[in-house]
Amino acid sequence: MPLREPFSDPAWRRKVLGDAFGRGFWGFFALAVLMGAICYALRGMEVTRDILLNDLVQLTKLFPRVCVALSIAALIWYLLPRDRVSELVGSESGLMGLVIAAAAGMVTPGGPSSAYALLAVLALSGADRGALIAYITAWATLGLQRILIWDVPFLGAEFAFLRILVSLPLPIIAGLIARQLPIELRVRGAEASGERTL
Amino acid sequence: MSIGLLVLVLLLAVLLVLAWRWKLDFGPIVARFIEQFAILVPRMLCALVAAGFIAELIPKQTVSNYLGDDAGLMALPVAAFMGLLIPAGPVIAFSIAAVFARSGASTAALVTFITAWSLFAAHRILIYEVPLLGPSFLRFRALSVVSMPFVAGTLAYIVGLVTGFGEAIPIH
Repeated sequence: MPLREPFSDPAWRRKVLGDAFGRGFWGFFALAVLMGAICYALRGMEVTRDILLNDLVQLTKLFPRVCVALSIAALIWYLLPRDRVSELVGSESGLMGLVIAAAAGMVTPGGPSSAYALLAVLALSGADRGALIAYITAWATLGLQRILIWDVPFLGAEFAFLRILVSLPLPIIAGLIARQLPIELRVRGAEASGERTL
Repeated sequence: MSIGLLVLVLLLAVLLVLAWRWKLDFGPIVARFIEQFAILVPRMLCALVAAGFIAELIPKQTVSNYLGDDAGLMALPVAAFMGLLIPAGPVIAFSIAAVFARSGASTAALVTFITAWSLFAAHRILIYEVPLLGPSFLRFRALSVVSMPFVAGTLAYIVGLVTGFGEAIPIH
């Protein structure tokens, strides 16, 4: 683990800037402009402006969440005892490992910024491939916070309950499939750890 | 402040206290924050704007016609495909689900739609998954979970054969 702060290192700064405004960024930028142009052509000025204003409202809500979520992920990255992780959800953890990972996914608070940041930490801390898939599948399909905030008000409590019921097996099935898949998995990692093959 | 954010802030406070008590060096922690922030936030801005436009352009009412009870299990592939197409967060996805429900989509189709959206929402893949974990992980995960919307939808369909429990009551 690097203990010297890298802020004054010009190579580090260049890399951060490249990550921020690299090809991926411009691809998204072009997509946004293109979709805006299509929307303007088909729906007119007023609708386009309303959508942009709505985007602005969403951004102000999203921004603090992303900052808090990334702070949490960065702290966990250095606080998490890696050996405990591989013990709980490593490749020797069996079915129990999948259940633990799925339960963790269900209770992970926050949106994708926190779940994916934590997933990246887990991936480089010794969790096995099945547990990673079980975790993110449970977060996506069974996240309790999402069910309470979105399913219940939008579609009713009865529907929410049915959806929980039929989704409960999904993380485990997906995790078992993941363990059987005969393909190589390489996970992108931090500078210090490089890539890890699972 | 929403409950979700409040929980996150509390968690952050606990972790900060822990890090301080364990005398961790905050330099690398801040550096990691900045690295991930740089990967995520600029793309997030653009993707959010693009997603807002795409959600507007999707013909919701037309699609609803293919999701009704008479379509039976045939509604599931259409619902799953629609889930893939919604590149936006829960506000838009669940509003669209409510539109589907109001125009008579079956419960199984709704379950399939929401499951497909929650697993494959394109914005999440592009903004978070690929930048943080890489394309190899995305391919691996897609293969692992591609059948899940159909598993959930079929289970909901079977439940629907036995009982009327679980029918959606969409908001207006």
